[in-house]
Amino acid sequence: MVKKAHFVTGKGGVGKSLVAAVLARHFSQKNQHLLLAELSEFSFYKDFLDLPQIRYTPTNWTGLVDVAQWSAQDCLREYALHLLKIQKLYELFFENPVTRSLVQVAPGVQELAILGKVTSSPRRHGPPMSYDQLVIDAFATGHFLSLLQAPKAMADTIPFGPMGDQSRSIDKLIRDPNFTEVHVVSLAEELPITETLELYFELQKTFQIKPKVYLNKLFNLTEKDLSKLDANAQDYLSVQAENELKAKKTLQKNQIEFISLPLVTTLNTSAIIDSLLPYVTGVV
Amino acid sequence: MIKIKPETKTLICIGTGGVGKTTLAASFGVGLALEGKKILVLTIDPSKRLAQALGLKPDGELHQVDLSEVSGGNKPAGQLWSCVIDHQKAFEKFIRQASKNVASESEINRLLKNKLYLQLSGRLSGSQEFTSLISLYQYVQSGVYDLVILDTPPAQHTWSFLNAPEKIANLFNEGIANWFRAGNESGSLFKKIVNIGTTQVLKALELLTGSEFIKELSSFFKAIQNWQGPLEAYVMNCHRLLISPQTEFVLVTGLDPSRLKEAYKLAKEIRTQGYKLTSIVINRVPGWLSTQTTATFDPKTSLVEGDRLNNIIHYYQSLETELKKSIQSFSSQQSVYKCFEFSQNTENVPQLKINYDQIIEIT
Repeated sequence: MVKKAHFVTGKGGVGKSLVAAVLARHFSQKNQHLLLAELSEFSFYKDFLDLPQIRYTPTNWTGLVDVAQWSAQDCLREYALHLLKIQKLYELFFENPVTRSLVQVAPGVQELAILGKVTSSPRRHGPPMSYDQLVIDAFATGHFLSLLQAPKAMADTIPFGPMGDQSRSIDKLIRDPNFTEVHVVSLAEELPITETLELYFELQKTFQIKPKVYLNKLFNLTEKDLSKLDANAQDYLSVQAENELKAKKTLQKNQIEFISLPLVTTLNTSAIIDSLLPYVTGVV
Repeated sequence: MIKIKPETKTLICIGTGGVGKTTLAASFGVGLALEGKKILVLTIDPSKRLAQALGLKPDGELHQVDLSEVSGGNKPAGQLWSCVIDHQKAFEKFIRQASKNVASESEINRLLKNKLYLQLSGRLSGSQEFTSLISLYQYVQSGVYDLVILDTPPAQHTWSFLNAPEKIANLFNEGIANWFRAGNESGSLFKKIVNIGTTQVLKALELLTGSEFIKELSSFFKAIQNWQGPLEAYVMNCHRLLISPQTEFVLVTGLDPSRLKEAYKLAKEIRTQGYKLTSIVINRVPGWLSTQTTATFDPKTSLVEGDRLNNIIHYYQSLETELKKSIQSFSSQQSVYKCFEFSQNTENVPQLKINYDQIIEIT
């Protein structure tokens, strides 16, 4: 049974998917069976992890870690089939263009379908899942908040019937700190830091979730390093160094603990992941 | 500098999050305005510094950008206007404009209070993409500007933006709407549907969602009953704007192997779908590299330890090498440019101009 779901979020381009992969590897080292799920229509991990195919049905990546790609459509289809039981009825329901458009536009339904899947194992609602933990390479900050808010919004809009019941039980698990963990990835730049702070406090306020924060792609250059460069490069890289210092100070000032991750200076994915593993070991 | 066709009226900047689309869109605005055009930049979520530089407020209103600093004391040749899209306001404006002459004030207000509408116009399910597009359509249509530049929302991917008109049009589509309109009471509407298949589908939907959900949907569709035609026509016009020969797409990406691969796939798809992708900009290329002495890069060594500075330099050099390799894979139908990274601490109008001037075509 799935005991824990880790959501990895942050502003676009900060390295969410990389951190999610590192975390999945890290947790699996404690003899845990892990599923790394990406929520995008086009797979990022296929090229990044150099796998032949990534689909809704999990593919083994390495050791105890499998990778899957979850679209709202797939989650909903699985759920509907599980609930409706009758294949014929399900086909009629899903292979209907009208239903398809309705599912696409009806607000909150897609978000609910995804969170329904994430929480299906402990709620014992849906096909069983043989993983101990899930790592979800989730949406960027704003969209991620709408994702977490969807069950409550749906339960408030439609309080009665199966949709209301389901929404409430999903919402309960999302707010359970023993089940849900959120990891926010940031860069040492103004916009990602601002978004991280906003998200951090919003998650605490609305969900009582205290997320783990990661400061990614740090150059970690010293004064001495900088002095070796010519004026032009020095100008640019000292701003980078200043930004890193500023970002750390901002997080500290807001009493947010964070994990520093260096920029790994190689293009090889498995080398990058291996280099970052020691930074999360013992901390997460 | 970037080549934009003189007849182009709309420029759409697309790309995944974190590549610097917003700043680049603003740079295009500054550069093209100084060349004598009247430009409007529509943006979604500018950084504080950029907002300050452009005098932007998140109020959905138009603001003129002061270009005096970069026009050498003379009156600037063109004008630059900018606007941060307010999604809620834009959605309401769309409903009011599209339903003009066909709906009464009280009918419109009833819709604006519908729970489903409230969620639709809020942050859920791609509505930002849609409001960006209708705002773009309104400003292009007004004919006030020579060129309107749109900085698209930070979508998981660009498809949700390009598919926005289709998705919303589907919502206003006769087919769906008729399901919910057969009668005045929610109970009787199901009975009137004679088609067995449809009845089954609705039963399944009710089983999955409950009757409350159906009731909300039903009241939503009843509210838009009489003005569905105009709404649909409006959405179609938005779509037409995207495929117009006077619309150019610029794909913005970053100097990173996985981003370049993503951009390559995206460029191919965009062309296949019939949109006019004319330029690809590799953004935030470190300019400081070129002045440093070169050294060979060994990808096999793990480089976290050791000489940090050298490793970083090698790393960026290897990225540039990768870039040169991947440029060839982009089609010859687009121009590929690179734009140097500049310090974010100096995000102001003169810096945006320098940024624009420094965009160079890679051949």
